[in-house]
Amino acid sequence: MIPERTEIGAEETRPNKAAVHFDRRELVAAFVALAILTAVELSVARLPGIGHAARAIALIALAIAKASLIALFFMHLKHETTILKLTVAVPLAAPPIYGLVLIADTIWRFFR
Amino acid sequence: MSSPGIAVHAGHGPVAWPPDAQYGAASAGKIGMWVFLVSDAFSFGGLLIAYGILHAGERVWHRPGEPALGILFTAFLTFLLLCSSLTNVLAYSAAMEGDRRRTVRLLAVTALLGVLFLVGQGQEWFGIVGHGLMTEGLVFGHSKRASTFYAITGFHGLHVLAGVVYILVIMSAYARGRVHAAAVELLSLFWCFVDFVWIFVFSFIYLLG
Repeated sequence: MIPERTEIGAEETRPNKAAVHFDRRELVAAFVALAILTAVELSVARLPGIGHAARAIALIALAIAKASLIALFFMHLKHETTILKLTVAVPLAAPPIYGLVLIADTIWRFFR
Repeated sequence: MSSPGIAVHAGHGPVAWPPDAQYGAASAGKIGMWVFLVSDAFSFGGLLIAYGILHAGERVWHRPGEPALGILFTAFLTFLLLCSSLTNVLAYSAAMEGDRRRTVRLLAVTALLGVLFLVGQGQEWFGIVGHGLMTEGLVFGHSKRASTFYAITGFHGLHVLAGVVYILVIMSAYARGRVHAAAVELLSLFWCFVDFVWIFVFSFIYLLG
Protein backbone atom coordinates (compact mmCIF):
# COMPACT_ATOMS: atom_id res chain seq x y z
CA MET A 1 0.00 0.00 0.00
CA ILE A 2 1.47 3.33 -1.03
CA PRO A 3 1.00 6.17 1.45
CA GLU A 4 -0.95 9.09 -0.06
CA ARG A 5 1.57 11.75 0.85
CA THR A 6 4.47 12.12 3.22
CA GLU A 7 5.77 15.39 4.52
CA ILE A 8 9.38 16.20 3.90
CA GLY A 9 11.27 15.74 7.10
CA ALA A 10 14.43 17.69 7.74
CA GLU A 11 16.43 14.48 7.52
CA GLU A 12 14.59 12.90 4.60
CA THR A 13 15.73 15.28 1.90
CA ARG A 14 18.43 17.84 1.96
CA PRO A 15 17.48 21.40 1.08
CA ASN A 16 20.01 21.71 -1.72
CA LYS A 17 20.21 24.41 -4.33
CA ALA A 18 18.76 22.20 -7.08
CA ALA A 19 15.68 21.43 -4.99
CA VAL A 20 15.02 25.09 -4.32
CA HIS A 21 15.11 25.85 -8.05
CA PHE A 22 12.89 22.94 -9.16
CA ASP A 23 10.50 24.50 -11.67
CA ARG A 24 8.09 22.24 -13.59
CA ARG A 25 7.37 24.90 -16.23
CA GLU A 26 11.08 25.14 -16.93
CA LEU A 27 11.26 21.36 -17.36
CA VAL A 28 8.30 21.29 -19.74
CA ALA A 29 9.82 24.20 -21.71
CA ALA A 30 13.08 22.23 -22.01
CA PHE A 31 11.11 19.19 -23.21
CA VAL A 32 9.29 21.26 -25.87
CA ALA A 33 12.62 22.75 -27.02
CA LEU A 34 14.08 19.22 -27.29
CA ALA A 35 11.13 18.02 -29.37
CA ILE A 36 11.41 21.04 -31.69
CA LEU A 37 15.18 20.56 -32.08
CA THR A 38 14.58 16.89 -32.97
CA ALA A 39 12.13 17.97 -35.69
CA VAL A 40 14.72 20.48 -36.97
CA GLU A 41 17.33 17.67 -37.04
CA LEU A 42 15.03 15.56 -39.20
CA SER A 43 14.47 18.49 -41.57
CA VAL A 44 18.21 19.20 -41.85
CA ALA A 45 18.95 15.51 -42.49
CA ARG A 46 16.41 15.33 -45.34
CA LEU A 47 16.77 18.81 -46.85
CA PRO A 48 18.11 18.62 -50.42
CA GLY A 49 20.85 20.91 -51.67
CA ILE A 50 22.99 21.04 -48.54
CA GLY A 51 26.63 19.98 -48.71
CA HIS A 52 27.75 17.05 -46.54
CA ALA A 53 30.09 19.21 -44.43
CA ALA A 54 27.44 21.87 -43.76
CA ARG A 55 24.87 19.19 -42.92
CA ALA A 56 27.32 17.47 -40.55
CA ILE A 57 28.19 20.74 -38.78
CA ALA A 58 24.50 21.65 -38.40
CA LEU A 59 23.56 18.20 -37.05
CA ILE A 60 26.47 18.11 -34.60
CA ALA A 61 25.60 21.62 -33.37
CA LEU A 62 21.95 20.55 -32.88
CA ALA A 63 23.05 17.40 -31.01
CA ILE A 64 25.28 19.45 -28.69
CA ALA A 65 22.41 21.91 -28.08
CA LYS A 66 20.02 19.04 -27.21
CA ALA A 67 22.56 17.31 -24.95
CA SER A 68 23.23 20.62 -23.17
CA LEU A 69 19.51 21.09 -22.52
CA ILE A 70 19.29 17.62 -20.98
CA ALA A 71 22.38 18.10 -18.84
CA LEU A 72 21.43 21.60 -17.66
CA PHE A 73 17.70 21.12 -16.99
CA PHE A 74 16.88 17.41 -16.69
CA MET A 75 20.13 16.53 -14.91
CA HIS A 76 19.95 19.78 -12.89
CA LEU A 77 23.52 20.78 -13.75
CA LYS A 78 22.30 24.36 -14.19
CA HIS A 79 21.77 24.63 -10.44
CA GLU A 80 25.00 22.96 -9.35
CA THR A 81 28.22 24.68 -8.33
CA THR A 82 30.75 25.79 -10.94
CA ILE A 83 33.23 23.16 -9.74
CA LEU A 84 30.72 20.32 -10.25
CA LYS A 85 29.84 21.70 -13.70
CA LEU A 86 33.54 21.75 -14.61
CA THR A 87 34.06 18.25 -13.14
CA VAL A 88 31.53 17.01 -15.70
CA ALA A 89 32.18 19.30 -18.68
CA VAL A 90 36.00 19.32 -18.84
CA PRO A 91 36.49 15.52 -19.18
CA LEU A 92 33.62 15.36 -21.71
CA ALA A 93 35.51 17.79 -23.96
CA ALA A 94 38.30 15.22 -24.46
CA PRO A 95 36.55 12.54 -26.61
CA PRO A 96 35.46 15.01 -29.34
CA ILE A 97 39.05 16.29 -29.59
CA TYR A 98 40.46 12.72 -29.82
CA GLY A 99 37.75 11.91 -32.35
CA LEU A 100 38.48 14.90 -34.59
CA VAL A 101 42.24 14.23 -34.57
CA LEU A 102 41.92 10.49 -35.24
CA ILE A 103 39.26 10.84 -37.95
CA ALA A 104 41.25 13.65 -39.63
CA ASP A 105 44.32 11.37 -39.55
CA THR A 106 42.34 8.53 -41.16
CA ILE A 107 41.02 10.81 -43.91
CA TRP A 108 44.54 12.16 -44.56
CA ARG A 109 45.95 8.62 -44.88
CA PHE A 110 43.02 7.63 -47.08
CA PHE A 111 43.69 10.38 -49.65
CA ARG A 112 47.51 10.34 -49.40
CA MET B 1 27.43 7.93 14.91
CA SER B 2 27.33 11.01 12.75
CA SER B 3 29.56 14.00 12.12
CA PRO B 4 28.32 17.42 13.16
CA GLY B 5 25.98 18.81 10.50
CA ILE B 6 25.23 15.46 8.87
CA ALA B 7 21.75 14.06 9.46
CA VAL B 8 21.64 10.27 9.51
CA HIS B 9 18.48 8.32 8.69
CA ALA B 10 18.26 4.91 10.34
CA GLY B 11 19.72 2.27 8.04
CA HIS B 12 20.17 4.48 5.02
CA GLY B 13 23.34 6.46 5.74
CA PRO B 14 23.71 10.21 5.66
CA VAL B 15 20.99 12.06 3.76
CA ALA B 16 21.73 15.69 4.60
CA TRP B 17 25.16 17.12 4.00
CA PRO B 18 26.81 20.26 5.26
CA PRO B 19 27.47 22.71 2.40
CA ASP B 20 30.84 22.16 0.79
CA ALA B 21 32.92 25.05 -0.54
CA GLN B 22 33.40 23.33 -3.94
CA TYR B 23 30.44 20.98 -4.38
CA GLY B 24 27.71 22.83 -2.48
CA ALA B 25 25.08 20.46 -1.08
CA ALA B 26 25.80 17.63 -3.57
CA SER B 27 25.99 14.32 -1.72
CA ALA B 28 28.82 11.81 -2.11
CA GLY B 29 26.34 9.56 -3.96
CA LYS B 30 25.53 12.30 -6.46
CA ILE B 31 29.19 13.14 -7.12
CA GLY B 32 29.92 9.40 -7.44
CA MET B 33 27.09 9.00 -9.95
CA TRP B 34 28.42 11.92 -12.01
CA VAL B 35 31.92 10.39 -12.03
CA PHE B 36 30.42 7.05 -13.15
CA LEU B 37 28.38 8.75 -15.90
CA VAL B 38 31.42 10.64 -17.21
CA SER B 39 33.43 7.39 -17.34
CA ASP B 40 30.50 5.67 -19.06
CA ALA B 41 30.38 8.54 -21.56
CA PHE B 42 34.00 7.68 -22.44
CA SER B 43 32.86 4.16 -23.37
CA PHE B 44 30.32 5.61 -25.79
CA GLY B 45 32.89 8.16 -26.94
CA GLY B 46 35.32 5.34 -27.76
CA LEU B 47 32.67 3.48 -29.75
CA LEU B 48 31.63 6.59 -31.68
CA ILE B 49 35.27 7.50 -32.41
CA ALA B 50 35.86 3.95 -33.71
CA TYR B 51 32.73 4.35 -35.85
CA GLY B 52 34.03 7.66 -37.25
CA ILE B 53 37.49 6.24 -38.02
CA LEU B 54 36.09 3.14 -39.74
CA HIS B 55 33.56 5.24 -41.67
CA ALA B 56 36.23 7.73 -42.83
CA GLY B 57 38.57 4.94 -43.96
CA GLU B 58 36.01 2.93 -45.94
CA ARG B 59 35.61 3.63 -49.65
CA VAL B 60 32.07 2.15 -49.76
CA TRP B 61 30.34 2.47 -46.38
CA HIS B 62 26.79 1.57 -47.41
CA ARG B 63 27.23 -1.69 -49.34
CA PRO B 64 24.79 -2.68 -52.08
CA GLY B 65 22.07 -4.94 -50.71
CA GLU B 66 22.19 -3.49 -47.20
CA PRO B 67 19.02 -1.69 -46.08
CA ALA B 68 18.81 1.98 -45.18
CA LEU B 69 18.10 2.78 -41.52
CA GLY B 70 14.55 3.86 -40.64
CA ILE B 71 15.13 7.45 -39.60
CA LEU B 72 11.48 8.37 -39.00
CA PHE B 73 10.84 5.28 -36.88
CA THR B 74 13.97 5.96 -34.84
CA ALA B 75 12.96 9.62 -34.46
CA PHE B 76 9.76 8.30 -32.85
CA LEU B 77 11.88 6.16 -30.49
CA THR B 78 13.93 9.29 -29.71
CA PHE B 79 10.70 11.09 -28.83
CA LEU B 80 9.76 8.22 -26.49
CA LEU B 81 13.10 8.60 -24.69
CA LEU B 82 12.60 12.37 -24.41
CA CYS B 83 9.15 11.79 -22.88
CA SER B 84 10.65 9.28 -20.44
CA SER B 85 13.30 11.80 -19.35
CA LEU B 86 10.56 14.32 -18.61
CA THR B 87 8.43 11.84 -16.61
CA ASN B 88 11.56 10.72 -14.78
CA VAL B 89 12.60 14.19 -13.72
CA LEU B 90 8.96 14.99 -12.76
CA ALA B 91 9.07 11.85 -10.58
CA TYR B 92 12.11 13.29 -8.83
CA SER B 93 10.28 16.60 -8.42
CA ALA B 94 7.33 14.74 -6.83
CA ALA B 95 9.73 12.84 -4.58
CA MET B 96 11.24 16.12 -3.39
CA GLU B 97 7.72 17.25 -2.48
CA GLY B 98 7.16 14.01 -0.60
CA ASP B 99 4.33 12.91 -2.92
CA ARG B 100 4.98 9.20 -2.84
CA ARG B 101 2.01 8.06 -4.95
CA ARG B 102 2.77 10.50 -7.79
CA THR B 103 6.45 9.57 -7.71
CA VAL B 104 5.66 5.88 -8.12
CA ARG B 105 3.18 6.53 -10.95
CA LEU B 106 5.64 8.71 -12.87
CA LEU B 107 8.43 6.16 -12.39
CA ALA B 108 6.09 3.44 -13.70
CA VAL B 109 5.37 5.55 -16.82
CA THR B 110 9.11 6.09 -17.28
CA ALA B 111 9.77 2.34 -17.08
CA LEU B 112 6.95 1.67 -19.56
CA LEU B 113 8.41 4.18 -22.03
CA GLY B 114 11.80 2.50 -21.61
CA VAL B 115 10.25 -0.90 -22.37
CA LEU B 116 8.52 0.59 -25.45
CA PHE B 117 11.89 1.90 -26.65
CA LEU B 118 13.38 -1.58 -26.27
CA VAL B 119 10.46 -3.16 -28.12
CA GLY B 120 10.96 -0.58 -30.87
CA GLN B 121 14.64 -1.45 -31.07
CA GLY B 122 13.72 -5.14 -31.23
CA GLN B 123 11.35 -4.35 -34.09
CA GLU B 124 14.08 -2.44 -35.90
CA TRP B 125 16.67 -5.23 -35.46
CA PHE B 126 14.63 -8.42 -35.78
CA GLY B 127 11.31 -7.33 -37.26
CA ILE B 128 8.87 -8.53 -34.59
CA VAL B 129 6.16 -7.45 -37.04
CA GLY B 130 7.25 -7.54 -40.70
CA HIS B 131 10.92 -7.25 -41.67
CA GLY B 132 13.84 -6.16 -39.51
CA LEU B 133 17.30 -4.94 -40.46
CA MET B 134 18.79 -8.42 -39.91
CA THR B 135 16.38 -10.14 -42.27
CA GLU B 136 16.85 -7.34 -44.82
CA GLY B 137 20.61 -7.90 -45.04
CA LEU B 138 22.28 -5.79 -42.33
CA VAL B 139 24.04 -8.67 -40.56
CA PHE B 140 26.58 -8.31 -37.74
CA GLY B 141 30.07 -9.19 -38.98
CA HIS B 142 29.25 -8.85 -42.67
CA SER B 143 30.38 -5.22 -42.95
CA LYS B 144 31.90 -2.49 -40.78
CA ARG B 145 28.65 -0.54 -41.11
CA ALA B 146 26.61 -3.46 -39.73
CA SER B 147 29.05 -4.33 -36.93
CA THR B 148 29.41 -0.77 -35.65
CA PHE B 149 25.64 -0.23 -35.90
CA TYR B 150 24.79 -3.27 -33.76
CA ALA B 151 27.68 -2.69 -31.32
CA ILE B 152 26.73 0.93 -30.60
CA THR B 153 22.92 0.63 -30.58
CA GLY B 154 23.22 -2.67 -28.67
CA PHE B 155 25.46 -1.08 -26.02
CA HIS B 156 22.93 1.73 -25.66
CA GLY B 157 20.06 -0.79 -25.53
CA LEU B 158 21.81 -2.54 -22.64
CA HIS B 159 21.88 0.79 -20.82
CA VAL B 160 18.14 1.22 -21.41
CA LEU B 161 17.53 -2.31 -20.09
CA ALA B 162 19.71 -1.63 -17.02
CA GLY B 163 17.85 1.66 -16.54
CA VAL B 164 14.44 -0.05 -16.63
CA VAL B 165 15.59 -2.59 -14.01
CA TYR B 166 17.08 0.27 -11.92
CA ILE B 167 13.74 2.16 -12.12
CA LEU B 168 11.74 -0.90 -11.04
CA VAL B 169 14.08 -1.56 -8.09
CA ILE B 170 14.01 2.06 -6.86
CA MET B 171 10.25 2.37 -7.52
CA SER B 172 9.56 -0.73 -5.43
CA ALA B 173 11.87 0.39 -2.61
CA TYR B 174 10.48 3.94 -2.66
CA ALA B 175 6.86 2.72 -2.58
CA ARG B 176 7.71 0.73 0.57
CA GLY B 177 9.48 3.71 2.14
CA ARG B 178 12.88 2.02 2.10
CA VAL B 179 14.62 4.76 0.11
CA HIS B 180 14.10 8.51 -0.13
CA ALA B 181 14.21 11.29 -2.71
CA ALA B 182 18.02 11.17 -2.88
CA ALA B 183 17.80 7.67 -4.43
CA VAL B 184 15.28 8.91 -7.01
CA GLU B 185 17.66 11.76 -7.84
CA LEU B 186 20.52 9.34 -8.60
CA LEU B 187 18.16 7.23 -10.73
CA SER B 188 17.06 10.40 -12.54
CA LEU B 189 20.68 11.23 -13.38
CA PHE B 190 21.30 7.75 -14.82
CA TRP B 191 18.13 7.69 -16.91
CA CYS B 192 18.67 11.18 -18.34
CA PHE B 193 22.22 10.11 -19.22
CA VAL B 194 20.75 7.28 -21.32
CA ASP B 195 18.81 9.95 -23.23
CA PHE B 196 21.88 12.24 -23.36
CA VAL B 197 23.95 9.51 -25.05
CA TRP B 198 21.14 8.52 -27.43
CA ILE B 199 21.13 12.05 -28.88
CA PHE B 200 24.67 11.49 -30.18
CA VAL B 201 23.97 7.91 -31.30
CA PHE B 202 20.92 9.12 -33.25
CA SER B 203 22.84 11.99 -34.87
CA PHE B 204 25.98 10.05 -35.83
CA ILE B 205 24.56 6.64 -36.74
CA TYR B 206 21.16 7.52 -38.19
CA LEU B 207 21.30 11.11 -39.44
CA LEU B 208 24.94 11.33 -40.53
CA GLY B 209 25.55 7.63 -41.25
